[in-house]
Amino acid sequence: MSDEHTASIPKTEKSNVEVRHDRRNERLTWLIDHFKREWQIYVMLAPAIIWFLLFLYKPMYGLQIAFKDYSIFRGIDGSPWVGWEHFGTLFGSDQFVRAVWNTIKISALNLLFGFPAPIILALMFNEILNATFKKTAQTIVYLPHFISSVIIAGIVITAFSPSAGIVNTIIGWFGFEPIYFLTKPEWFRPIFIGTGIWQEAGFGSIVFLAAIAGVNPSLYESAVVDGANRWQMMWKITIPSIMPTILIMLIIRIGNIMEVSFELIILLYQPATYATADVVNTFIYRQGIQGGQYDIAAAAGLFNAVVAFVLVMTANSISKRFSRTSLW
Amino acid sequence: MRKLTLVAAAFATSTLTGALPAIADGHLKVVDEPLELTVHFHWRRSKGYIEDWPVEKAACDWTGVCLKDATVGKNASTSSEAMNLLIASGSLPDIVGGERVRQPINEYGPQGAFIPLNDLIDEHAPNIKAWFNEHPGLMEAISSWDGNMYYIPYLPDGKYARAWFIRQDWLDKLGLEQPNNIEELEQVLIAFRDQDPNGNGQKDEIPYFNRNWEETLRPINFWDARTSGSDTYHDFMVVDGRLQHPYATENFREGLKNLARWYAEGLIDPEIYTRGSSARDYLLSENLGGFTHDWFASTSGYNISLKDTVEGFNFIPFLPPESISGQRFQEHRRIPIKPDGWAISHTNQDPIATIKYFDFWFTEEGALLANFGIEGDHYEMIDGEPVYTDKILGSGRAVNSQMYEIGAQAFRGYPQDYRYEWQWTRESARKGIELYDTEDLLLDQFLGVAFKQEEQEVYDKYWPNLQTYMLERIQAWVLGNGDIEADWDEYVAQLENRGLNDVLGVMQAAYDRQYGG
Repeated sequence: MSDEHTASIPKTEKSNVEVRHDRRNERLTWLIDHFKREWQIYVMLAPAIIWFLLFLYKPMYGLQIAFKDYSIFRGIDGSPWVGWEHFGTLFGSDQFVRAVWNTIKISALNLLFGFPAPIILALMFNEILNATFKKTAQTIVYLPHFISSVIIAGIVITAFSPSAGIVNTIIGWFGFEPIYFLTKPEWFRPIFIGTGIWQEAGFGSIVFLAAIAGVNPSLYESAVVDGANRWQMMWKITIPSIMPTILIMLIIRIGNIMEVSFELIILLYQPATYATADVVNTFIYRQGIQGGQYDIAAAAGLFNAVVAFVLVMTANSISKRFSRTSLW
Repeated sequence: MRKLTLVAAAFATSTLTGALPAIADGHLKVVDEPLELTVHFHWRRSKGYIEDWPVEKAACDWTGVCLKDATVGKNASTSSEAMNLLIASGSLPDIVGGERVRQPINEYGPQGAFIPLNDLIDEHAPNIKAWFNEHPGLMEAISSWDGNMYYIPYLPDGKYARAWFIRQDWLDKLGLEQPNNIEELEQVLIAFRDQDPNGNGQKDEIPYFNRNWEETLRPINFWDARTSGSDTYHDFMVVDGRLQHPYATENFREGLKNLARWYAEGLIDPEIYTRGSSARDYLLSENLGGFTHDWFASTSGYNISLKDTVEGFNFIPFLPPESISGQRFQEHRRIPIKPDGWAISHTNQDPIATIKYFDFWFTEEGALLANFGIEGDHYEMIDGEPVYTDKILGSGRAVNSQMYEIGAQAFRGYPQDYRYEWQWTRESARKGIELYDTEDLLLDQFLGVAFKQEEQEVYDKYWPNLQTYMLERIQAWVLGNGDIEADWDEYVAQLENRGLNDVLGVMQAAYDRQYGG
C-alpha cells in the first residue's frame, strides 16, 4: 500500500524508469529486512510447503496419463498421447454419466440435510445449562466419528436387516411387511445420508461450538436487559455472529462436493443398488483399480477435480459478493 | 500322480537304507559353482521369499542355486499392486514370481521383459517337459499371445473344491430321501421351509443359503444353465469351440426365471445379498440353514465344531441332483493351472541354470520338498507314501499354514501333490469326495486366453461395463424387480449395444490362436 502511495505522487521529477528502479530497490530491502526479522516463521512454514510440493504438486505430473495410452512398463513419458480419447470413452458410457449424476445428487442432498445438522446440534448444545449432561451428550455424539467405516457399514447392515434389524422390527410393530432396504435403489440415498449425519454431525459441531464460544458475552447481557428471550437471542445474536464460520465451512464443503465418502458406499452397495449408489469414485475404483485401467481412472479423477475446482471458485465468489466472507 | 507315487515309492526304499543317499550324491546339483539369483516373490502368506525357510535352505544345498529375496512392495496389499510397482521401477531381479503373475508376465514378456521358456524347457528341463506332456492342453493355456510360454505355473492337484451340502438330520427327521433330481430338490426345500425341521415352532428355516452372494446363482445349474466357465465367478465359457458368456444364453433365462421364483417363494435366503461371509457360521450354528454349495473341507468341519451345540447336526455333501434335462454335473472345480508361479526376467545372466533350477522342483525330490517339507522333520516315508510327522499333524494348527511357514506349498512353479491335503481332510469330507468320484461330474474349464495389446484394449473398453450391467440386471430379477421373460430381448439387445459381440470377437480370435482353433 505504502509504495503505491509514493509512486502515485504526481509532481515527481524523476522519470518513470527511475521510479520503477526505486520501487524495486525499496521492495528488495524490504524483503531482506523482512526475512531477517521473520525467518523463524518461514522455517516453521517450510514443512507444510514441502509436503504440498511433494504430495500434491509433484503427482500432478502424473495427471498427463489421462491423455495418454498408459502402460506401466513404458512409463509415463514413454506412453503415447491419445488426446481426449479417454474422456470420450467415459462420456460415451451411460454408467459414468449415471455415476456423475449420482454423485451430484448424493452430495446435494448431503449438503441440504447434512450441512445444517452440526449447526443445529451446536446451537442445541449451547442451550443446555446442566454441564454434566452437556458433556455426556457431546461425548456420545462425537463417538461415531472415531469408528471405522467397516464397522459403521456392519452396524447399518445389521440395523436394516429384514429379519433381525431394529428398523424392520419397528416397522413390524405397525403391522407392515419387512423391507430389504439395502437392495432397494430408492432407499440407498436416505440410508447413506442418514448414516453420514449420524457419524459426522457431532464431530462437525465442534467448530461451530468454538465459534459460539467466541461471541462477545456483553451482547447477550445487553439483550437480557432489553428483555429478549432465548429464542430471540439465538436468532439475533448467535447465528449472525457465527455466520462467517458457517459460510467458510459451506465453501469448503462445496469444494468437496464430488468427494463422496466412497469407502462407505463400497461397503454398502450392491449391483442391485448401483442405479442410485454408484458414484464417480466407486466407478473409478471398479474400472481403474480393479480393471487395471489407470489412464481412464485418471481421466475420471481429473474430471472430478475440475468440477470441484469450478464449484469452490463459484461458491467463494458468490460468498465474497454477498457477505464479504471468503476463503481468499 | 500315479506315476509319481511309484517313483516316490522307489525313492523311499532307497532313503530307508541310509542317510539321504539320493541327495548326498549331488545328482540334483544344477550348477558347478554356487549361484545366487535374486527373486521378486510377492504372495499373501509371507513377506517375500524367505531365505531362512527350511525348504529354501534344502533346495539351495541340493541344487547349488540359492535365492536372494528382492521383493518389491512387500507391504502392498495385493500382488498385482506389487507387480505394478516392480514393473514401474524398471529394474527386474533374475526371477519374478509369486501370486497372480500370469497376466503381467504374458503382457510384458512379448515386450521383452521376460525370457520365452519353450526352447529352454525343451533342452534343459526334462521333468517340466514330461509334466506338460502328461497334461496336454495346459501349455497352450498359459502361453502368451505370441505362442511362447513365459512362466512356470503353480499346478494345483485334486479335482473337487465346492460341493452341495444338505442337513441329513433334517431329511431324516422329516422322513425324506436325499433329493436325486431338481423336482425332488424343490420338494425338499419346501419341506425345509414349511415343516419346521429345527423344531423350534417357528417358520425361520432358510432352505438355500450361501456366504458368497455370487453363489446365489449356482442353483441355476439345475436348469442346465451355467454361472461361469471357470473357477472365477462370471467367467466366459467355451461351447463346441465357441466362446460364449453364460449370462447371455437361453438356458440362463430359464434358470434365472426359476431362481427368481425360488427367491420369491422363500426357498433362498431373503438376505443373501447382505448376509456376507459370516452367513455360513451364523445360519448353521443357529440351526437355521438347510442347503448350501461350499468347500468340501471347511464345510464338513461344522459337523465337529457344532457337534455339542446343535443336537444331531449332520451336514453332509451329496451328489448334485439331476438337472431338468437329466444331467448330473458339478460346475465348480479346482483349476489345473494357477496364475501364480515364476518367470525368468531379461536381466538374468544364466537362464540355463535358472531353468534347470525350475526343473528341480518337478523332480520327485523337489516335488516332495515343495509339498511336504523336509523328510524326517516334517514328514516320513511310510510304505512309499509321504506322511506328515506328529509335529505337523498333532500341532492343532492347520497344516497348510504350517507348510507356508517352512516354505513348502509356496506359490513357486511346482506340481502340487493332493496327498498333502488328503492327510488332513476330515472323514466326512473324504467320504464326500469319494462319493463325487463315483460319477463323472466335472466339466471342462475355460482356462483363459492371452490377448494381444489391441485385443486387450477392446476387452478393457467393454468388459467392466458389461459385467456391471449384467450383475445389476441379474440381481434386480432375482429380487423381483422386473420380469426376466418380458425383459430378456431388451437385455440381450443391450448387451450387444454395450459391445458383448466385440468382446467375444477378440476372445474368440485369441482362443483360436492359442488352442489351435
